Amino acid sequence: MEIVATQRLTFRYPDAALPALSEIDLSIGKGEFVVLCGASGSGKTTLLRHFKRELAPVGESSGIVRYDGLPLAELPDGRAAEEIGFVFQHPESQVVMDTVWHELAFAMENRGYPLVVMRQRLAELASFFGLEPLMQRSVHELSGGQTQLVNLASVLLLQPRLLLLDEPTSQLDPVAAREFVHLLRRLNEEFGVTVVASEHRLDDILPLADRLIVMEGGRIRHDGAPGDVCARIWAAGDARERLYVPSVARLLAAVGAAESPADGPLPLTVREAVAALDRLASGRSGDRADGGRPFAAAPPDLAAGSADVAPSEDAGAARQRRLFRPAARPASDAPSDVLSCRELTYRFERELPDVLRGLSLQVREGELLAVLGGNGAGKSTLLQLMAGLRKPQRGKIAIAPGRRLGYLAQNPMLYFSSDTVREEFSRAAEDAGYKGGAAAAEIARWTDAFGLGELADRHPHDLSGGQQQKLALALVLLPRPDILCIDEPTKGLDPVAKEAFAALLRQLREDGMTIVMVTHDAEFAARHADRCALLYGGEIAAEAEPPLFFGGNYFYTTAVNRAVRHRYPDAVTAEEVQRRWSDEAKRS
Amino acid sequence: MNAGGFAGLHPLVCFVYYAGVILLGLMLAHPVYQLASLALLTALLLLQRQGRPLARALPYYLLVGGLFAIVNPLLSHRGRHILFYLWDQPITLEAVLYGAMMMMTILAVLLMFVSYRVVMTTDKFMYLFSAVLPQTALHVWMTLRFIPLFARRFQQIELIQRSRGIDMRTGGPIRRLRNGAVLLRILMTWSLEDAMRTGDSMKARGYGTAKRTAFYPYRMDRRDRITLAILGLLLLLALAGWREGWGLLTLYPRMESLRLAAYERIHFAIFLLFVGMPILFEAKERYRWRSSRRSA
Repeated sequence: MEIVATQRLTFRYPDAALPALSEIDLSIGKGEFVVLCGASGSGKTTLLRHFKRELAPVGESSGIVRYDGLPLAELPDGRAAEEIGFVFQHPESQVVMDTVWHELAFAMENRGYPLVVMRQRLAELASFFGLEPLMQRSVHELSGGQTQLVNLASVLLLQPRLLLLDEPTSQLDPVAAREFVHLLRRLNEEFGVTVVASEHRLDDILPLADRLIVMEGGRIRHDGAPGDVCARIWAAGDARERLYVPSVARLLAAVGAAESPADGPLPLTVREAVAALDRLASGRSGDRADGGRPFAAAPPDLAAGSADVAPSEDAGAARQRRLFRPAARPASDAPSDVLSCRELTYRFERELPDVLRGLSLQVREGELLAVLGGNGAGKSTLLQLMAGLRKPQRGKIAIAPGRRLGYLAQNPMLYFSSDTVREEFSRAAEDAGYKGGAAAAEIARWTDAFGLGELADRHPHDLSGGQQQKLALALVLLPRPDILCIDEPTKGLDPVAKEAFAALLRQLREDGMTIVMVTHDAEFAARHADRCALLYGGEIAAEAEPPLFFGGNYFYTTAVNRAVRHRYPDAVTAEEVQRRWSDEAKRS
Repeated sequence: MNAGGFAGLHPLVCFVYYAGVILLGLMLAHPVYQLASLALLTALLLLQRQGRPLARALPYYLLVGGLFAIVNPLLSHRGRHILFYLWDQPITLEAVLYGAMMMMTILAVLLMFVSYRVVMTTDKFMYLFSAVLPQTALHVWMTLRFIPLFARRFQQIELIQRSRGIDMRTGGPIRRLRNGAVLLRILMTWSLEDAMRTGDSMKARGYGTAKRTAFYPYRMDRRDRITLAILGLLLLLALAGWREGWGLLTLYPRMESLRLAAYERIHFAIFLLFVGMPILFEAKERYRWRSSRRSA
């Protein structure tokens, strides 16, 4: 039985050259958990909004959307509002009221429920979600993850049958995001709510989903069980599409492809990946008449052969020592520090607890340093201190003489004060002190480098998230800083935009820039950073190169590392594992 | 909601009390009544642990009240009992007393508002308001939320823009004004953008599809109903007495005696009971916790 379906749905925004959706034929069954993915602008949001009548975009449209056997347009207002729930991307902009209980009640008040009903529903939902301790709190005191939970709960109080979510976790940190998608699965399993969610980061949600739909250019490219779709994408070989495949699946696809051409669904969880790797490995050692012996921990035949596999006990201990005593490295081969923080202590207000407590950190010339840490650990604060936006109560920040520093905040909207991208640039050039020809040359340089040329006459707020971020970065780079501090640059970016951003960072570093990045994104840090630092308890708890850093962590590491840690403890990316795997294959 | 004592009662009960206090405070004009009500309100504030804020604000309250007490005899010269002459102007006992009564009225209202702010939080007031006008109340709620929200956003914008040299705190007045305009502009564009999203979220949750009801976490229980009935009865009796002329001191043209007449004493007792009602709840609360600590 289908709950929502489209027939030859085509939609074009006013003034758009190409349709945002073309001839979509889609049927979603009752109780399905569907994940929708695709690059920004591929039509995910437009499609989701067509399922919710109140949010249907304005433009030319043809084709039919049916809900529960009825054309959606004929559904009574009340049913449309109650049975189809919608949760948006930005947690804070959805909030209407100031306290949690009132925000939760908002939807029910709109529907005019009697008090008795409201009380009962609120009581049961608050206990299901564990929201009781937050009920009296003001919404702005909550973290992003908690706010998104409140948004979801408020929608659920109307007891919807179909839940639509537009990138609900893109603004959350990984831990909160994982909790959120698991909650979705519970709702789906325990209450039979049909869930359709669009997502960029598939690692967490895909193992829970029944069905994956990949969109591109307003059309459905792939549709099927997640493991199968991933295998199909991998087989098709499109490098851009392959970025959507979760990292463990990518690992197995890459490793497995060398052994046998991909067939059957790809594993999506660490558990499945470990099993699949063992199968592959035993298959390989089976060729060498080793029997089917699963080699879980450091097989002797491999350890003897190469230096980069499982280290012995002593090596492991040495690794730990290096990890926790970063200053112990020889000074001769280390490049000079361009920025050093010495015993920084900071708190926002006198009565509040310290955010940073005697934090010391050195940033070396030309490196990309990733600062990781949990929610509210003070990562952003540290960056703002480095950038000189705040003054520490104690401690000192020294920047190498003659170096200038640029700071890019998380929210690019904070930078935009003009009506067009062009004006934004000229204002920034003026602020940076460029005159006449020099200003024009600088602007041209950065617009070209960031591909912002054709957007020059657009309003900054009309750009996509990735474009806004590029623009804000270009504005920060205009005065030619030597050190760049960036706060959560990969938040909300689709994998393709993320890859483009990584290339941009590489380019900047080739030009000699030093970059400090605060991030939640362990995968990104593992792949692109020179060094990682973990901020915990107001100080730097660990700092090392990514293989060492993540190899020593159990939770705070990449999914790939978790899958292969018994085999290659310091391999953190799929590419790395693939290289070693094929090296071994050659040797054996 | 962890409000014990008087604040633990239903908001309507509290509201009726404060409305009654302000009504009686403005209508009854008798020094005995006024002194008693000041004493009761002070006791209430002390029980509500407002002693410190009260001590801090009292000088200003006295200044405002005192102004009336001083200005009245200087401007009004009615009355028979002339105390002395100031710059050839007679200062009469009646005018001095009248000024003092005005001062006490003002003080009573100010003290009442200190307690009101503690007991009647915005939540409670808006709940009462939304029971009468649900739609308007919603708009007021949303507006109230915007004020701190804008302040927080403005701080963020200021922090970032300062790093780009746009600062309201340095430079000449024209530069400051220009920079301030830029900051405000950023705030406005951002907030409008955000408001569109909020609008979508409201529509998605059925805003405007039915007549709104109001959810509130307050329930009127037996104690609330009894208290409300008693307060209502006392207030009606007190007002009826006022129509009889009780609780009013006639000053002009001729000052009557300060002593309360026989029936007026009953009226005074009713008045005391009304104004002192919250003290019963606060004292009971205190006693309960103290005795439970002793027995524990």
